[in-house]
Amino acid sequence: MRRLIVLFALLATPFLASQAVAQLQPPVTQGLFLLTDYPAQTVRAGEVTTIRVKMQNSGLAPEPMALSLSGIPAGWKIDMLGGGQPVASAMPGQNESVTLQLRVEVPKDAKPGAQQVVLSAKGTRLQSAELPLTLIVGTDAPAKLSLKSRLPSLRGTPRSSFEYTVTVGNDSGKDLTVALSAQGPANFQTTFTEGFGSNEISSIPIEAGQTKDIKVKVTPPRDVKAGDYPVLVKVAAEGATAELRVTLQVSGQGKLALSTKDGRLSGEAEIGKTSTYTLALTNDGTAAVDEIEMAGTVPTNWKVEFNPKTLATLAPGEKKDVQVLVTPADKAIAGDYVAQFRAAARGESSSADFRITVTTSTLWGMVGIGIIAVALLVLLGAVARFGRR
Amino acid sequence: MQRSAIRREGSAFTGLGPVFMKEFADHLSSARMMVLMLFVIAFGAFPVASSLQQLRTVTESDAFLFLRIFTSAPDSLPISFVFALNFIIPIMAIGLGFDAVNSEFNHRTLSRVLSQPIYRDALLLGKFLGGLVTLAVALTALWLIVFGAGLLLLGLPPRGVEVARAGCFLVAAIAYGGVWLAISLLFSVIFRSTATSALCSLGLWLFFFLLWPMIASAITIGFAPSQIRSAEEYLAIEQIGLVLARFSPGTLFSETVVGLLNPETRTFASMLPAQMRGVIQGAPLPLDQSLILIWPQMTGLIAGMIVVFAAAYVIFQREEVRA
Repeated sequence: MRRLIVLFALLATPFLASQAVAQLQPPVTQGLFLLTDYPAQTVRAGEVTTIRVKMQNSGLAPEPMALSLSGIPAGWKIDMLGGGQPVASAMPGQNESVTLQLRVEVPKDAKPGAQQVVLSAKGTRLQSAELPLTLIVGTDAPAKLSLKSRLPSLRGTPRSSFEYTVTVGNDSGKDLTVALSAQGPANFQTTFTEGFGSNEISSIPIEAGQTKDIKVKVTPPRDVKAGDYPVLVKVAAEGATAELRVTLQVSGQGKLALSTKDGRLSGEAEIGKTSTYTLALTNDGTAAVDEIEMAGTVPTNWKVEFNPKTLATLAPGEKKDVQVLVTPADKAIAGDYVAQFRAAARGESSSADFRITVTTSTLWGMVGIGIIAVALLVLLGAVARFGRR
Repeated sequence: MQRSAIRREGSAFTGLGPVFMKEFADHLSSARMMVLMLFVIAFGAFPVASSLQQLRTVTESDAFLFLRIFTSAPDSLPISFVFALNFIIPIMAIGLGFDAVNSEFNHRTLSRVLSQPIYRDALLLGKFLGGLVTLAVALTALWLIVFGAGLLLLGLPPRGVEVARAGCFLVAAIAYGGVWLAISLLFSVIFRSTATSALCSLGLWLFFFLLWPMIASAITIGFAPSQIRSAEEYLAIEQIGLVLARFSPGTLFSETVVGLLNPETRTFASMLPAQMRGVIQGAPLPLDQSLILIWPQMTGLIAGMIVVFAAAYVIFQREEVRA
């Protein structure tokens, strides 16, 4: 019977051997190993840390491995778990592995320092493996945040909105909910939006070690003077803060407004005669407007002149009167016409449509009355000449 | 004046009052006047009624809605009130004046009248004024009827400027009637036969009403070069046509009416493209500007009336009345 088995075994060996060779091609080494990703790691006092351990059987016949721990510091509690249950031994198959968890409960009063714990596995035969683990009791790593911006300084006019993309990083070992705030000059409005989203946010959760892009939009008040304005962007979470100073370079902008003194944009003009209207040019902007040139579009053959034709400069909030002299063409026909007056400087202009009622001279009316008078004189002459009893 | 002072005793208008009052009373009570009034009301009421009916359906806002009663020509009847007046007024005036003087001749009453302390001047002027005032009364009555109908059916009071424009229109209508009254008076002085006088007056009216527009356009075409090269040239030719057409009192009257009742009218001729630049379309002219616009036409009507009357006067004065 035994010989028969041996014979079988001999017959099967080439098979098994070739199979085993094919399977064991990558791991050349044979043996039983206890593996973990981080053999030395930090644990926190008063907290439970789970350490994942793998028992790998490379090319050996399976057998039950008794597990034991040595060197457990006083007061500590380390449980060996397999599949969620406390286990005392493990049996990985040939070229297979079994996952184990070490549940390390560190007492609150544990002293900082390194502790050596050895996990050993012992088979019934000669096989055994050991895994020394170094558990470092560290002080609680503080939350740490970072704040960066690629473009911390933007330039624009009071009417543009300034959008800064800032990157908030959670450099601590924990997930954090980061509160966002910003401090700017009075009446500056700041809003936070997430990356490409449109919702305004006031805080954002960031996982440990991750970064997130946040958009900070700053809207300055319309009447802000030209200059540099700093805005302090602050993020805070669990006592950790980070600050970033972004700068708005607001360049002033002039804004011309053309109207008349009383706002009335209509007038009368007699054919062939010059009429004068007073336009009021104001600068509603935040910067001076230089080299303003006045121009006008009037119906064909009309004359339009400005006094003054050009203005050297107009300070913000300043108001200047400009006389415009309009002469309707000699052949113009009575009625309402529209003329456009413009004030233009570099990059800035304003125009006003002016309604001009053209009136005819009453001279021809007089001539008509004269003709009727002549007709009456003819009649009177006839009466004088032919009148008789 | 000195000469006349020497030759005359008292004013040339002595006796004007009685002649005028008698003439006025005769007109108002005559059967002819009744017939003429019926004729006028029939012709005037029909366009007004249909234009009012159309205006009641107008929903868009119109600053001069009331004036449209006079000018709008409904689709059912393409005659507006003012167009109707354009040919009713001459007929009325001719009807009142064609036998003013020659009927006195024919009844042999002229020498009897002139034997009274009444100058010939006063007789002719009195007859003319009597006819003119009769005409004015009839037209004013018609005007008031139109206004009242407008108030009743539109339920909308006219604005002051509309009343002023319509009032000026009434004055123009009376002046237009005066021209034809003077013309018919002239013929009644020239011809002893009332039928000839009436025929001549009506013939002249028909000539101006039907024939003259055609003749005027024919002459204009004759003046026009074979090729019109520019807008200015076209305008010059159009101007010739307009001047010719304005010899007709009817043209003067209709231009006056257009200028008064369509406040948007700026000119009667075409406007050059250069003049069109910057024009605000549809903006009404102020009343004084409209009056300046139509003043030449108005002058033509009034001066024409006076000149024709003066001609009638001269002929009448040189006539032998003792027949």
